[in-house]
Amino acid sequence: MKKTMIGAAAATAATALVLAGCSTSSEEETTAPTTEASTGATDEAMTAESADITLWLMGGDTNDDLRQYLKDTYAEENGGTLTIEEQGWGDALAKLTTALPDSANTPDVTEIGNTWSPTFTAVGAFSDLTDMYDELGGDSLLQSFVEVGKKDDKNYAMPYYFGSRSIIFRKDIYDAAGVAQPTTLQEFNDNAAKLKTDDMSGFYLGGSDWRNGISWIFANGGDLAKQEDGQWVSTLSDPNTQKGLKMLQDLYTSASNAPVGEFDSTPWVNINNNESTGKPEAATIMAPNWAHWSVGLTSEDENGDVVVGDDGTTPVLTWDDDTFGTFALPGVDGGVAPVFAGGSNIGVSASSENQDAAKQLMTIIFSDEYQTMLAGAGLGPANLDFTSALGDDQFAKVNIEAASGSKLTPAAPGWAAVEGSSLLEEFFGKVNAGGDIAALATEYDAQITPMLNG
Amino acid sequence: MKRKSRVGLSVLAIVISLVWIFPVYWMLNSAFLPTTVLERFTPTFLPFGGSWRNFTSAMDDGTFFRALGMSVAITLIVVFFCILFAFLAALAISRFKFRGRKTFIIAVLLIQMLPAEALFLAQYKMMSSLGLLNSVVGVSIIYVAAVVPFTIWMLRGFVAGVPADLEEAAMVDGLSRFQAFMKITFPLLAPGLVASGVYAFLQAWNEFTVALILLPAEDAQTLPLWLRGFVQASATRATDWGEVMAASTLVAVPVIVFFLIVQGRMTSGLVSGAVKG
Amino acid sequence: MSSPVTSPKRQAQSEESIKAAAHASKAKRRARRAPYWLIAASIGILLVGTGYPTAWQLVTSTQSYGLAQQFGAAAEFIGLQNYIELLSDTEFWQVVGRSLVFCFVVAGLTLALGLAFALLMNAVNKAVRLILQISMLLAWAMPIVASMTVWTWLFDTRRGVVNYLLDKIPGVDMYRFDWFASPWTFFLMAGIIVTWMSVPFVAFSIFAGLTQVSDEVLEASALDGASNGQRLRLIILPMIKPVIAIVMLLQVIWDLRVFAQIKILQDAGASGSKFDLLGTYIYKVGTGSNDFASAAAASVIVLILTISISWWYVRKLMKEED
Repeated sequence: MKKTMIGAAAATAATALVLAGCSTSSEEETTAPTTEASTGATDEAMTAESADITLWLMGGDTNDDLRQYLKDTYAEENGGTLTIEEQGWGDALAKLTTALPDSANTPDVTEIGNTWSPTFTAVGAFSDLTDMYDELGGDSLLQSFVEVGKKDDKNYAMPYYFGSRSIIFRKDIYDAAGVAQPTTLQEFNDNAAKLKTDDMSGFYLGGSDWRNGISWIFANGGDLAKQEDGQWVSTLSDPNTQKGLKMLQDLYTSASNAPVGEFDSTPWVNINNNESTGKPEAATIMAPNWAHWSVGLTSEDENGDVVVGDDGTTPVLTWDDDTFGTFALPGVDGGVAPVFAGGSNIGVSASSENQDAAKQLMTIIFSDEYQTMLAGAGLGPANLDFTSALGDDQFAKVNIEAASGSKLTPAAPGWAAVEGSSLLEEFFGKVNAGGDIAALATEYDAQITPMLNG
Repeated sequence: MKRKSRVGLSVLAIVISLVWIFPVYWMLNSAFLPTTVLERFTPTFLPFGGSWRNFTSAMDDGTFFRALGMSVAITLIVVFFCILFAFLAALAISRFKFRGRKTFIIAVLLIQMLPAEALFLAQYKMMSSLGLLNSVVGVSIIYVAAVVPFTIWMLRGFVAGVPADLEEAAMVDGLSRFQAFMKITFPLLAPGLVASGVYAFLQAWNEFTVALILLPAEDAQTLPLWLRGFVQASATRATDWGEVMAASTLVAVPVIVFFLIVQGRMTSGLVSGAVKG
Repeated sequence: MSSPVTSPKRQAQSEESIKAAAHASKAKRRARRAPYWLIAASIGILLVGTGYPTAWQLVTSTQSYGLAQQFGAAAEFIGLQNYIELLSDTEFWQVVGRSLVFCFVVAGLTLALGLAFALLMNAVNKAVRLILQISMLLAWAMPIVASMTVWTWLFDTRRGVVNYLLDKIPGVDMYRFDWFASPWTFFLMAGIIVTWMSVPFVAFSIFAGLTQVSDEVLEASALDGASNGQRLRLIILPMIKPVIAIVMLLQVIWDLRVFAQIKILQDAGASGSKFDLLGTYIYKVGTGSNDFASAAAASVIVLILTISISWWYVRKLMKEED
């Protein structure tokens, strides 16, 4: 009994916070009926029957502290148990496809890759959260991610976190070669070509790694697809896209030793000193911002043994400012290039039988505390009011700088199918293998366009 | 056979053994080595200075034993029912003439030709509507159905290999048909039953694409799913090969132990001449 | 009892004969029904476990069925359109051709090695045979996920043992050779791995067959002055022909629908359509691109294809069963 009362009190407190965080500038918000509706929704959330619900998270980006917070807070506010299940990215598509429509086994709330959001939103996998939109952060939410979770002006999938891609480079190697930090994209390419040796990539780029590669397209004003008269069309043949692809091909050929088939690499292993040679495999890499946790130098203890982590075998890496540096990929005319905005959306499964409890979990996820914690863990928070919690170190600065111009893949309903078909890996691999860019673009445009519209 | 050529053949056999066993050895070797050693460009061929650390950290969170339990339960069910069903069916097709026999034999053969990659939606829908997702029973039904055709085939050969007149002779000696069967035919079938069991065991223990779909909950994972999750989680960071190899070893060890136990019986059954009659 | 006119003795006799007749007909009926009871369990499990999914697949292959249908939209019947689209797609035919070549080469190689190893097991002494058998068993026992993890690491571009060892051979430059770059080396690698996994089963099956070849026959032939080659060709092979036939058929079926191995290799760094075999192609069309109907149609086509290449065996079998 006592526990329930504390829970109710906590819920009230949380609600107060959420309400305080609400933006009142939104037009709908000022009309009386909506306010009533939103209060109604909150009441409902507060009194939501205690229910055991399941949350699916993709991969390990949401760390254990964050998970524990969600479980504890949910238990306090709802009284039920929150089960969190981690899904590997590789198998997630098959599992979402089968489980989401199945009310008996669906996760109540699920994270989903931002590039898959349009597809699953279009088929009605998620519940309509338009009523809660303002409560969850409203216009403070990262709008490009809100956009991919929208259908017919209603909100379904919400942003969860974002991470933009930035450059990590070997300051020591740049300095030794007398190469300065670049200010334009062309300079970046030239530097990388200059630094390349047989044993070291100037810039380590997997040949089929389109998620990094598209930055060169975006920077040149190109895109992967656009909407024409309500229909999506693949735009690999667009002159700006072609310009970007040419630049990318030059870069790969002149600066990267990575295999042409590599597409989902962990490039940070290449910028660390290798155990046998004491030298890195790459002078420059591009990776999601949080990769800096995996970059650094090993240290030795008094016995001359490499210091290892808790598991007893993995060496501890410490970032060293004299060896490593980071910057946002520069644009064609200076400034910052638009890079691929990685990250996830999150939504309530439409087939879930615990809609109220699931919505209650959503309010916890979008609460000030949790958004602050997300940012504290280095993930770009869905609610941009909390980006300051990312900190003010060099990584946070570069992250925010890169995010400012970052771009998402097209919000086409068939986008998940395009990704699932591996056509992009194939296309970028062929371009980087030295293929005829114009001919390849025509060929792949013809294959991708029919898939885009679902 | 000439002595010289015999020695040559033995050497050849041992070379082949080494080549075939190398990947297994490599898994074990790497499982004992720390990541720093495995990251080197020059491979380390012997696990000197190795430790059990990779194993302990792979088993850290206790999910291994849960997955082991699932795998053992599913495998036992599948092996038992496969042998039972297949034995009965093999008896029917090799001891009786009946209408539909030929159709049955051909159906059993054709079923093995179905590609499984597009069946998962239907399998999921069926098990979900029966309430058998995340359960040992649901996935076992699919496995038994997948394995039983092959075990019928295997046993059919063995049952046909035991001459029916042996049984009849025993019946003349006053044994009932059942007694005759148990005393005469069954022992002769033992190697076949063991071989079918081994096959069913392997299939059930190793399968992961159906399990992935039918056992979506984390606490219903089988060992291959556990291992796959391990490899995938590891891949989002830098793959920790030592730990992954230790995890692979943990999944492989029960099978290897089972095989080494059964191996003696299987080949001794075969070699002792029981089948030669 | 029956009629009082018959003497007790005759009565007993006739009763016995009636009983016997009844018993016989009952036994006959039971014998007639028995095989159906015996196969009932197998048929039941097959109907549930494969029958329903296969029927669903057949129906779906005639529909327009994508992610929207999975989430409850009505599936439209479109007849054979999925089939027509697939059959007029050159990419699909390329995958079919590639799969057939891969399947025959790998199945052939597996069978040749399996036969050779089985003969070897038969020829060497007990200790050596045991070593060979155990190494085969260990390779066979390795769970696919585990062995594929090891293999992808063995073929790793930078830290792989395969490159390391091949590079040691004088005159061979395999330093950082990328096995995943071209379809040729990719399928060479896949072929090696699949063969490695499949040979033990074939070797054991044929070895089991060999142990059934009676020693007397072999000794007699040796006395008759037959050479080793002649014995193999004229006596041993004909006797184990049934085992070889079934093993070969199974290998062809399995290698044609090989999926997990290719999928895991693709995940390790080769994703283009040039690296697809039928299994991964179906997976990509279905799970990857959410076109479940086309995936179902492709499966049906693969089934028909498999039946047609194994038709020789099915026909032979039907003749034997007559």
